[in-house]
Amino acid sequence: MSVLEDKKVIVIPCSGIGKVLGSVSREAAYLVIEELRPEETDTVALSLLVLGDEAAKRAVQDHPTITIDGCRYECASKNVTQAGGQVARCFTVLEALRRYRLKPKSIADLGESGELLARRLAEEVAEAVEEIGKDGDVTWLS
Amino acid sequence: MVKLVPKKVGIIACSGEELPEGTVSRVAALKVLEELRPEDTVTLCLPLFLAGDERERAFARFYPTIALDGCEKRCAQRATERYSGQTADSLVISQLVEEQRLPRPQGRRRLDGGGDRVVQAVAEELATRVDRILGEKGRLGLKITKPEGTPATTGATCACVTGIPVTQVEIGGVKVELVGLSAIFEQFYQTDKRPGDGLAEELLQTVKLYNRVPEKANELYKMALVREYEIFCRQKEG
Repeated sequence: MSVLEDKKVIVIPCSGIGKVLGSVSREAAYLVIEELRPEETDTVALSLLVLGDEAAKRAVQDHPTITIDGCRYECASKNVTQAGGQVARCFTVLEALRRYRLKPKSIADLGESGELLARRLAEEVAEAVEEIGKDGDVTWLS
Repeated sequence: MVKLVPKKVGIIACSGEELPEGTVSRVAALKVLEELRPEDTVTLCLPLFLAGDERERAFARFYPTIALDGCEKRCAQRATERYSGQTADSLVISQLVEEQRLPRPQGRRRLDGGGDRVVQAVAEELATRVDRILGEKGRLGLKITKPEGTPATTGATCACVTGIPVTQVEIGGVKVELVGLSAIFEQFYQTDKRPGDGLAEELLQTVKLYNRVPEKANELYKMALVREYEIFCRQKEG
């Protein structure tokens, strides 16, 4: 049993600090776990996975995990995979940015446009959570 | 004469998503990077130590680095030391909160008023430690050339954008990756230092600032560095 107990899906943003894409990723993840799907989701600190924390590793091994990566380095997805977890769905801010054409203001302040981009992305993630829940069982895509 | 950029201090924040202190680490680090010491600091996303390559893992060997952690698990410090290099300093937010009798921050997504106070205190402490490191080591450092086409930085400087130069050199029959060698050579060349007496030791000591050099291998490193520097100078002079 993982530390997440009855939570079904883990949502992990990329922890990016040097680019605005990381801020969007983090905001989108919090929107999902605190507002859109609070009962069905939770998060695990990516830094714990980097360090190889056993409880964090067990969490991504035992639960379907959705990653939200900021940039081309795909830190969240790569670290989940290296921790022995399987990425059920992977979203990237860069793609969302191209799709929605909403430009965030800065790393520390996303601005109206950046907030909207995070919300649009969060809604996509929330839908994915729903789909994973409907499956009953997890359909691994990776 | 090339214009040397000041040596920068690296800041690695844990950014832990699970706790308000993780958000404090991120916001406080950004405050230092963008507002308090923008010219003196650089950062890297912690997960890049695993997701990136040798250039990212060279971060703490290239920049004297302060690890900023939310809690006693010290993910930033331990991961930096495991994958990159010894940290120059570390700061744990939960400890600082206790020492300065600050309110426990609340709210992972949006910090409360207490959290904002903690951010301010942490950022100020971090800036003080940045100054201390730069004061100890001096401000002159190495020029890092941005890859062509890299946009100008408008916020926090991220090392995955600026890039840390890594060069492979054969030393005693073994291929060794040296951090910052091209920038060191460029600096030596631009200050009219040419291969000759005494340069080997100076090259070695400069390389040691950014790379681990086993004591027993000092002489092998000196020979290789002088050889590579001679090649560098010849290429420069056509």
